[in-house]
Amino acid sequence: MASQTETMHRGSRTAALRGQSAFRRMLDRNAAGYVFLLPWLLGFFGLTLGPALASLYLSFTNYDLLQSPDWVGAANYVRILTDDPKFGAAMRVTFTYVILSVPLKLAFALAVAMAFNRGIKGLTLYRAIFYLPSLLGSSVAIAVLWRQLFASDGLINMALWQAFGYEGPSWISNPDYALYTLVLLSIWQFGSPMIIFLAGLRQIPKDMYEAAEMDGAGKARQFFRITLPLLTPVIFFNSVIQTIEAFKAFTPAFIISEGTGGPINSTLFYTLYLYQEAFGFFRMGYASALAWILVVIISLFTAFSFLGARYWVHYDD
Amino acid sequence: MSMMLDRRSVLWGGLSALSLATFHTPALAQAARLRMIWWGSQERADRTNKAIAAFKGAKPDITIAGEFAGWSDYWPRLATQVAGRNAPDLIQMDYRYIFEYARRGALAPLDDYIGKGLKIEDFGKANVDSGRVDGKLFGVNLGVNSSVVIYDKAAWEKTGAKAPSLGQTWEEFAENAIAFGKKKPKPGYYATADASGLEPSFENYLRQNNKALFAADGQLGYEASDVASWFKMWDGIRKAGGCVPADVQALDQLNIETNALTTGKAATAFAHSNQFVGYQALNKSKLSLTAYPKVSASSPTGHYLKPSMLMSVSATSQNVQSAVDFINFLVASPEGVDLLGVERGVPASTAMRDQLTTKLDDVSKAMVEYIAAITPNVGALPINPPQGAGELAFVLTRVSQEVAFGRITPEEGGERMVSEAKNTLARK
Repeated sequence: MASQTETMHRGSRTAALRGQSAFRRMLDRNAAGYVFLLPWLLGFFGLTLGPALASLYLSFTNYDLLQSPDWVGAANYVRILTDDPKFGAAMRVTFTYVILSVPLKLAFALAVAMAFNRGIKGLTLYRAIFYLPSLLGSSVAIAVLWRQLFASDGLINMALWQAFGYEGPSWISNPDYALYTLVLLSIWQFGSPMIIFLAGLRQIPKDMYEAAEMDGAGKARQFFRITLPLLTPVIFFNSVIQTIEAFKAFTPAFIISEGTGGPINSTLFYTLYLYQEAFGFFRMGYASALAWILVVIISLFTAFSFLGARYWVHYDD
Repeated sequence: MSMMLDRRSVLWGGLSALSLATFHTPALAQAARLRMIWWGSQERADRTNKAIAAFKGAKPDITIAGEFAGWSDYWPRLATQVAGRNAPDLIQMDYRYIFEYARRGALAPLDDYIGKGLKIEDFGKANVDSGRVDGKLFGVNLGVNSSVVIYDKAAWEKTGAKAPSLGQTWEEFAENAIAFGKKKPKPGYYATADASGLEPSFENYLRQNNKALFAADGQLGYEASDVASWFKMWDGIRKAGGCVPADVQALDQLNIETNALTTGKAATAFAHSNQFVGYQALNKSKLSLTAYPKVSASSPTGHYLKPSMLMSVSATSQNVQSAVDFINFLVASPEGVDLLGVERGVPASTAMRDQLTTKLDDVSKAMVEYIAAITPNVGALPINPPQGAGELAFVLTRVSQEVAFGRITPEEGGERMVSEAKNTLARK
């Protein structure tokens, strides 16, 4: 018995030793890798995960930046969901923006991609030019430019006056139109989904179209029976990415309304409202709660997209 | 194994070299290095940077690094720097925010420096006290200003309508603006910007009616009917073509650059008197300035003298004495005062004001004369704004837009303004 326990002891000790050396060996083998990963790891833990967890804590407090946070439990969440008319306004604006801008942008991107796919001369150049707005689109300069274009005496109204003698309103500062100018700005940045669509279109075998043509299918029928079904994985990918992007849109509304979300909250994007609460009125706790609600909304949206995808996305295998 | 060791030693060697490089670079500074932050236009930045350079000439061992932002970006930037324990030494302060910062311990009290490096005795009690919070001095008055009506006299005269003038009533102003609109020189040009959503203008109107934005107990100092009559007056002017339409007014981002006067949409703007310098710099036609119209000939003027801005020192500053030296240079030395001019308002010190006035150009002189002209009839400084007061300016702008775009009536606007304001103030 005694000898047995002794063996067990010895056994566990050797196992422990072995484990330690295995760990060391693993470390020896991968140390360089981890060191090379270090900048990313530091960034992830220090700049992403750390602040995210801190904001989760702050969302249960009142925090005005100058004094230490004050624990209030779920009060911020309760107020947002039951007693905050601006939250409702921001949700309306954001959902309108997402629902309008994502499908329109994708349709436009697909149309351009299909035009390119017919094999035109100088494709690389055109592709670069058409991609340009996407690189510039979320920049401050473009938002300022948009403001100039759609102001009361902007280029758009000048053109309308010249062409039709129509005196247009100040699109950007009219609550009836302001949001739609931002939707337009978003559609104009169709570059990245367009590139992805183009790659997807290239994947579709040419002989399918040839066969369809032999069978007498017209262009429209080819589009709906071949192009669209085979493109569904790409459409799915683009729509998920663009939806998330649209929920997170901030710069254009911030610049165009000078951070007010005006006129009359017509461009009060969710992120803009969050920013106002945080940096305009120094309610960091409340803003953190708003941010976590946005995280939940985006996650739900993405989850439903993936669940729904099995019914319409066709993976060719 | 030896190869592994080599590789490891190389790695650790590299890491320690990295840490050496990161942690041993500073600690060279010996002379005082101060940081300063302010809000304002390019004009203000130019003047401030000249003053900083001149101060460096007088005190070569003090270096000041300045940064500036527009009004709306300024407060987020300052708050994050203060929260990050990285506050600038010298902080330009506003009368509305000094209470919040001082009461939260973010600013250094400056009482001990009065007479010792800070010569503000000839400011007069009111101008010193405008930098006090709960009896302690947390800010030094950088200039005195008041609300003002700025207008393009030639444009008014061209239409034959009577231009704004001292002692005019709101009723006369409205009639004149409407007359202007009927004979306007070009389409899309109006007599005046729409001031219904501007808090300082609304406050002036309230004070003329012996009301105020806030009562002594920190509650609202006005009622729905006060807001409604203010909205109604502007609604009348707007509907008769006397002021810019709602969508043009909505382009105003509450700064000089986007005001309807500067963008060539209107002949009149409602502003702060120190901004007159900036307005004239951006407008080709010669501008004039006068007091607000009054609700009746016998009503108070509604004006008060306000510190256009204050200079404060951060509670965490390591060089309060040097910071105070610089503040003194700005407000009590002829060299500094001359460089700043009246762009931040009229100097509070009588001696400085007198020596400056003789050197001013016509634009600045007109501004000093304006302050002198309204001073006999100004009221007292309003009480400390309560917490949450800053948000109400935005609420007023939004509700005024709902009225201007015809979504609600002026009466509904009054009700909405008061109920939202009460909600905001009740919020922690």
